[in-house]
Amino acid sequence: MSADPPALACSGLTIRFGDFVALQDVTLTLGRYRIHAVCGQNGAGKTSFARACAGLIGSATGTVEIASRPLRIGHVAAAREAGVELVHQSFALPPSFTVAEAMEFGLSGSTGAIFFRRTLNRRWAKHLKALGVEAKPKDRIRDLPVETQQAVEIARALAGDARLLILDEPTAVLAPGAVDALFARLRRLRDSGVTIIIILHKVREVLAIADTVTVLRGGRLVDGPTEATEVTAESLARSIIGAAAIAAEAPEDQAALVGASIPRGTHAQPAAAVTAPLLSIAGAATAKTGDGPALRQIDLSVGAGEILGIAGVEGNGQQPLVQAIAGLIPLTAGRLTLDGTDITAMPLAERRRRGLRIIPFERNTEGLSLSSALWENWAARGLLGHSALSLINPAKLRAEARAAFTTWDVRFETVNQPARSLSGGNAQKVILSREIDEAARLIILAQPTRGLDIGATAFVWHAMREARKRGLGLILISSDLDELFDISDRVIVLQGGSIAGDFTAPYDLHAVGTAMVGSAAA
Amino acid sequence: MISLVVAVLREATPMIYVAMAGMLAQRAGVWNLGLEGLMITGACAGVVITERVGSVLAGVAGAVLFSVLLSVLLWVVIEKLRANPIIAGLGLTGLGLSGTDLAIQAIYGSEAAVTAPAGIPTLGPAYGILGVLDVLVLLMPFTVLALWVLLRRTRFGLRLAACGEHPFAARSVGADPGRMRLLALVLGGVLAGLGGADLSLGGLQIFSINMTAGRGFMAFAAVIFGAAHPLGTTLAVLFFSLVEYLGIKAQLVFGENAPRDFILMLPYLATVLGIWISARLRGGAVVNSAELRDS
Repeated sequence: MSADPPALACSGLTIRFGDFVALQDVTLTLGRYRIHAVCGQNGAGKTSFARACAGLIGSATGTVEIASRPLRIGHVAAAREAGVELVHQSFALPPSFTVAEAMEFGLSGSTGAIFFRRTLNRRWAKHLKALGVEAKPKDRIRDLPVETQQAVEIARALAGDARLLILDEPTAVLAPGAVDALFARLRRLRDSGVTIIIILHKVREVLAIADTVTVLRGGRLVDGPTEATEVTAESLARSIIGAAAIAAEAPEDQAALVGASIPRGTHAQPAAAVTAPLLSIAGAATAKTGDGPALRQIDLSVGAGEILGIAGVEGNGQQPLVQAIAGLIPLTAGRLTLDGTDITAMPLAERRRRGLRIIPFERNTEGLSLSSALWENWAARGLLGHSALSLINPAKLRAEARAAFTTWDVRFETVNQPARSLSGGNAQKVILSREIDEAARLIILAQPTRGLDIGATAFVWHAMREARKRGLGLILISSDLDELFDISDRVIVLQGGSIAGDFTAPYDLHAVGTAMVGSAAA
Repeated sequence: MISLVVAVLREATPMIYVAMAGMLAQRAGVWNLGLEGLMITGACAGVVITERVGSVLAGVAGAVLFSVLLSVLLWVVIEKLRANPIIAGLGLTGLGLSGTDLAIQAIYGSEAAVTAPAGIPTLGPAYGILGVLDVLVLLMPFTVLALWVLLRRTRFGLRLAACGEHPFAARSVGADPGRMRLLALVLGGVLAGLGGADLSLGGLQIFSINMTAGRGFMAFAAVIFGAAHPLGTTLAVLFFSLVEYLGIKAQLVFGENAPRDFILMLPYLATVLGIWISARLRGGAVVNSAELRDS
């Protein structure tokens, strides 16, 4: 096997976008028939590296060789000819296409031949079945759940003669169970002779799948490829963040980042410290909405200085719960009490005045207006509190926003730049700076760390702990059980719109998992 | 009944060709609001060149040529100069409408209608009432069918749709969205030129200023109404034409009893209603393809 030419060898690979250097002088050789993890924080150059190897970046300089044959830079067709296929983080399949069409449109070769739907469907049904993908050729891409979309995209990548499969952060969109299924699929592919490069930013996932580990930081290669057996969680986290940066983090953050090596529930506070409930929900129910099932008989309370974790498979009532607490959908039964006041019938503005704050699920659509300036996004916090015709003072708001962003360590150039221009971590900091203010009493954080790199994740966790110290109540909704177990004082499980379990630290992964799946599947 | 079919086909065919141009552009991700401009240019070039050269074939070829040139211009402005496609399209429409006006005045010295010595060959009186149907009307169903096969039954069609819907996906499999858009616009230019030529050379064999009278925009509406599908778009144009025909009939029947302006408004009202219904059926507004564009 050592006689085989390497699957990928690049030398002096550099990518510039204008003045910005995304990747600098990366020289790297990756062997065949293995799973290579490339990791690093957001902005480390991982995606640029993947796209350059797949021929998507024309401005790349340096050389890339696939199986010892030099590749024409910036030429997708040439890269695909050489057997390189890239699976994007946010999938690159047109949503209106059927699965069969999505498989077909990418095939190289003549594009003019007429096909018949039946033969097309039959051919791709066979291919999907061989790969164990549970999708029918007639299904529309947009109707498929994300993990199936990803499986279809992987199947599309393997439709031709793929020898090097690159996956750009494939786990970012997946629920914990689906990650295991993906990893099993990748191992099978490796064993059938495909070399895999997988881009990841979670240490635990790297250790679970990789044969070798390569670390990028700030566009430079800092480590690797190293055999995974020689890497520990601590050494990897250090090399991803940088030794200097990790020393500055609080010790508990450091442990949290490293993840697997620490016992769960370390940061939970003893229940005795919890005082009278800040928010209590009694017998709440809602009608079914487009965002999830109807809520049934929800009883929960959050005390001051408490973090309540809400676990559950996505779509089991998390969104209706947030909307019900926010007053965006009416309760059909039950009562909501915030800080001793019945808020069941109050509009959102009134609830916000009483200290309710929300970090919403979708950062880019619910949390921010991407085309608006940063200061406008920040100023939205007070808009509900005033009448529609009241005058605002932009200069004052700009100054306030600037001060808040500085306090919250948002990296920005001017408060007039559109929110679109911020990275995920910075965008989340803008939302945090807006929602976690002096008057906040109860904060709902819905998937606050999804898609964030470790540095930004640690920042969010730190902010949550600070808020707890100040005596605020927090509700954390997350699909990352590790995150929930690590920081929550209590965890409840939502299943099918009702509470399927109530757990306290130390958490039993198996018991929580069983509650999440529900009795039907147990 | 047959006279109704013939009249609707006569009215619809030029618009169907132009709508096919809009549909190709739409699929490739360009909202082509320049259709009106392409159509009037084709109509003008067709008659003027036929009148000057004396050959209908040269007139039709000239109509196609001018329409293609303007389509390429639109592509350059959108793709290379990065202009807003909506504004660029409207600009093209303005250029076509006023450019033809200017051309007629420059060549003939007045704004009077220009008559061509010959028109596109028709079936002839031997076929009775069907005799007024010309070659382009007869070719229209085959053109639509060929486009349907091209767009819905070949990999090229899938790639074109991918370029419009998700340009990054298209780029990821090695297609060049910019080039695909050029192809779509050039092919559309050919079709719009034919549509324009059929409008002027197919019937009365005259060209008059502003003779398209909004047909290009109706064609665009049909593209949206028909969800940029070849058959759906064609049916939409036929529907609009049917409404217009019925409107004219109604005018004859009711005479002075119904306000003329109201009856003339009917096709446009039908267009608005049609788009509203199609949007309702699809559960919301048409996706703005520009949102999915990669930079």
